[in-house]
Amino acid sequence: MDESTLIRHAANGDAAAWEPLVLAHQEAVFRLSYLLLGDPDDAEDIAQETFLRAWNHLKRFDLTRPLRPWLLSIASNLASNRRRSAARYLSALTRAFRNEPVSSISIEEKSTRHMEASHLWKAVQTLSMPEQQIVYLRYFLDLSVAETAEVLNIPEGTVKSRLSRALDRLRGIIQHDFPVLAEPRDGQEGHDA
Amino acid sequence: MNKRSTPQSGRMDELRQELFGKQLLSISKGLDYPRTPDIAGAVMTRLRGATRPRFISRRLVWSLTVILILFSSLMLIPPARAAIIEFIQIGVVRIFRAEPTPLAPPNQEIPSTVVPVTATPVPTSQPLIPILENLAGEMTLDEAQKAVNYPILLPSYPPDVGKPDRIFVQNADGKMTVLVWLDPQHPDQILMSLHFLPAGSWAIKKIEPTHIQETTVNSQRAIWAIGPYPLRLSNGDLDFVRLIDGHVLIWEQGDITYRLETDLSLEEAVKIAESLQPIEP
Repeated sequence: MDESTLIRHAANGDAAAWEPLVLAHQEAVFRLSYLLLGDPDDAEDIAQETFLRAWNHLKRFDLTRPLRPWLLSIASNLASNRRRSAARYLSALTRAFRNEPVSSISIEEKSTRHMEASHLWKAVQTLSMPEQQIVYLRYFLDLSVAETAEVLNIPEGTVKSRLSRALDRLRGIIQHDFPVLAEPRDGQEGHDA
Repeated sequence: MNKRSTPQSGRMDELRQELFGKQLLSISKGLDYPRTPDIAGAVMTRLRGATRPRFISRRLVWSLTVILILFSSLMLIPPARAAIIEFIQIGVVRIFRAEPTPLAPPNQEIPSTVVPVTATPVPTSQPLIPILENLAGEMTLDEAQKAVNYPILLPSYPPDVGKPDRIFVQNADGKMTVLVWLDPQHPDQILMSLHFLPAGSWAIKKIEPTHIQETTVNSQRAIWAIGPYPLRLSNGDLDFVRLIDGHVLIWEQGDITYRLETDLSLEEAVKIAESLQPIEP
């Protein structure tokens, strides 16, 4: 059964048809939520809520469009709202007490690849929320420009121009605050990243 | 530093950007995500449950607990107990009314445990622009008008008001539009903001504003509220609790509830509200 058939069944109240769709997209939805919130518990809450809200509004969903961008759009909005909620504020306070300082041993144990990715994530987190969203969608989740436009509900041209501005800012942040990422990497020339 | 743009330098920039993008793609693949939990299982359990339990997140439980404690504390105070059961409804906004009290002193401090999230300028508050940077759904006015199924109206008063500087459409459920005008004298401060709340989308509860007053906009009943007060926004689940510390005019027209946040007087706010017109092509 293809995706649009499953969506049609689900929109008619068939919960069994919704399950394979959740399975197919749960990783992307969870990961985007995690990137935006930085906390796995929060990300799980948002991912569940995303699929429940989507289920409740399936009748309004345009079957000619792909499902994933719509789900990511819901998750992105919910995560953005959560960042600003009192619950989130309390969560940050709780985490501040819960977290232990990162030891030098754990840093050394991490592979270079993970370290680089972790640095990159930290650099992206210094961007504005709209810039973070677009960078996560396009590069961390590897969505096309068209899919990113679909998620953010903006034209492709706007995605390109916003990406360009976000990358300019990110490049500056990396060069200033994360020089380890700005060093030339194996098989690549230049000093940009 | 501004670079002179030539076709060659433009192409070089494109190539640099493309290379940088490829590097981001490559590096980001190394990110160590937590294992994806069994979201499908949890969602299906909740969908198949005979009575669907209300979704309450762990974080929300904390938030609700704090609200409950605050609410319980208020109930211990006789005047508050009498007042809390009264409320005024206008559009999707429900205001829990308290006995009118003197206005807060102008330099009253915001409790440090509550993050001030309002588009209303307050002379003593810190710059609000960083808050806007975290708001989702920013787009152009044209894009916003295409994204929502109701006409976005713009004020023609004061005559030099111009178009909004920032536009947001938040569409987690219903599509709420927020228009923001920045203060030209203080570009890090917000002059006013106008919210469009379609019916059935968001519900807003204000709890004990310091001062509320009935008024009219276009001969229709309207509410003028002066903070500070907690504002609760909900669109299915309790999602926000914000501290509003400015003046808000609320009125309803058709299926839309409007909120105008400004530090202008009531008379000026009503003039702005009554000057709303569809966007000129």
